[in-house]
Amino acid sequence: MNAPVAQRSVSFLIAETLGREMALNERIVVLGEDVGKLGGVFNATRGLQERFGPWRVRDTPISEMSFVGMGVGLAMAGYRPVVEIMFADFVAVCLEQIVNAMAKIPYMSGGRVKMPMLVRTAGGSIGSAAQHSQCMWGMLAHWPGLKIVAPSCPADYRGLLTAALRGDDPVVLIEHKSQLNRRADRFLRPDPGPEGEHLVPLGQASVARRGSDVTVVSVSAAVEWCLEAAAAVASEGIEAEVIDLRCLVPLDMATVCDSLRRTGRLLVVDEDFGSFGMSGEVVSRAVEALGPAALRQVRRLCMPDMPLPAAKTLEDAVMPGPGKIADALRAMAGGS
Amino acid sequence: MRNTDPLVDHYERMCRMRAFEEACIAGASARDIQGELHAGIGQEAVASGIAPHLRRTDAVVSTHRNHLHALAKGVSPRGLMAEIFERETGLCRGRGGHMHPFDAANNFSATGIVGASLPVALGYAYAFAMEGRDDVAVGVTGDGGANHGTFAECLNMAGAWTLPLVLLVENNAYAISVPASAVTAPPGIAARAAAFGALGLSVDGTDVEAVERVFGEAVAHARAGRGPVVVEAFCHRFRGHYEGDADSYRPRDERQRMRRDADPIMLARAALQSRGVEAAELDRLKRGADDAMAAILAAVRADPMPDAAGALDFLFADAGAGAAA
Repeated sequence: MNAPVAQRSVSFLIAETLGREMALNERIVVLGEDVGKLGGVFNATRGLQERFGPWRVRDTPISEMSFVGMGVGLAMAGYRPVVEIMFADFVAVCLEQIVNAMAKIPYMSGGRVKMPMLVRTAGGSIGSAAQHSQCMWGMLAHWPGLKIVAPSCPADYRGLLTAALRGDDPVVLIEHKSQLNRRADRFLRPDPGPEGEHLVPLGQASVARRGSDVTVVSVSAAVEWCLEAAAAVASEGIEAEVIDLRCLVPLDMATVCDSLRRTGRLLVVDEDFGSFGMSGEVVSRAVEALGPAALRQVRRLCMPDMPLPAAKTLEDAVMPGPGKIADALRAMAGGS
Repeated sequence: MRNTDPLVDHYERMCRMRAFEEACIAGASARDIQGELHAGIGQEAVASGIAPHLRRTDAVVSTHRNHLHALAKGVSPRGLMAEIFERETGLCRGRGGHMHPFDAANNFSATGIVGASLPVALGYAYAFAMEGRDDVAVGVTGDGGANHGTFAECLNMAGAWTLPLVLLVENNAYAISVPASAVTAPPGIAARAAAFGALGLSVDGTDVEAVERVFGEAVAHARAGRGPVVVEAFCHRFRGHYEGDADSYRPRDERQRMRRDADPIMLARAALQSRGVEAAELDRLKRGADDAMAAILAAVRADPMPDAAGALDFLFADAGAGAAA
């Protein structure tokens, strides 16, 4: 238990943050499949049931629709439920309560009922094929009323989770499966943040790398892929500015637009599907904010609109990974 | 001297409930209310029968046909009707409408999605059990909603954790046009309770005294920490599924029979008269109920509509952080 923080995994940092907040706020209740004794299939609730007991950390049956709705009821009864949906894909099972209750009740009640509820789920590809690899953030961000958070580095996993647990709005936080059990010191941005409390307000993008040639906008694990690609092309004299949105809702276009005013070139990288999603939204808002003449080049690099294949050769072919991002940066820097 | 028979109180409350619904129907006809309206006329005995057992600190989570449950829970008829009429003075400032009234002070809410009321009630039941309170959570659904997966899921969880959850099933025999008998496996909904270690009770939902007695048993069971209960109340919806529904799927003689033989208000009135209550006294109570609701209707119609400038308000608790930000 005494390893340096830098050697801790992201899931450890999440469990530690949850534990800190649960100790501070007795209204926080954690629900989900295998969150108790097992501590979550990705270990992000490890030790919490032992520490806080079975009422505050509840292993549920495989009844997503009802235990998400139970979270809604708990929030209305004055609690701050944290509901874990094991894989983001399973959000499809309980979308009704997320979309029609959790997201809408604050508005439908005319602001008289608050919904301080957090759904944590694990998205993104780790070779688990079509039903266990999706990101889901574009779909979730489509519905009004939810704040949508997708961290990309150890410090943000801590800071954004803390903010989600302190605010009064419903939040869906999508953790990336490939990052959950990675040690902090194996990230390109390994700093886990300050000891003790760490809070990153929702709705503020971060500039993960400074550059002047191309603005690269992404979220979640793909930010690391962008940083890797940016490092690769830097030796060729191409300076990419990498912006980590951190949240899809609220979407911090001010940071994106500040960068675009300098570069005039926009590349959006999204592990989620391309059509009707984050990438199109960022491009549209940039055009609306800056005018079409402000953008010399616009590109999107996303998951193709297809179920994710199982075979690694096929998955590699469709994922918007570092190699493809670097190629896109070269093409854009070589253009006007 | 005032008659102390509790059935008198039920009679008066049921008259108020019906007059409330009739006021809403008038609003729908006059297009004061846009969209759908699901009236509970014919089902007053269920709502009135549960009312004496409900505390302010209990929770009720209702359905698209929720007005009478709200009144039973102590929600202000003025605020409720104003919300149904989509006014700024409504429970939810006109943002919710008739299917989505929320009254936090009374732990009352509803959902327009069939089956979705039960998980929310489960959450309240979990909170009450966690706190060791003897409050109960009532999830209302119908014969249609009882066939939703949440019914089994919630009964299972409430049984596993011994939660004070009462699933109140208003079996009005039709899910819109589909007869319950055509889509529900025998032996029926209350009988399912046994499979979850829950108490299963059924009752004639047109008999308000029977509802009060059976619901009292259910609530006592849940308050005593003995786990969940299913109460299936057989009743009739006199109107179509919504105002405007031609109700062509029910035979005419069936509709005539239920109004003639199974009107809970007429049944209560006949019982009271057989116990010696004067017709004039009952007429007086009905007139009082009608007058009270007419006054509320007039007041609501004079209420302001929400200001269009506020259409985007209340999306998030921290204003200004909306999706459009």
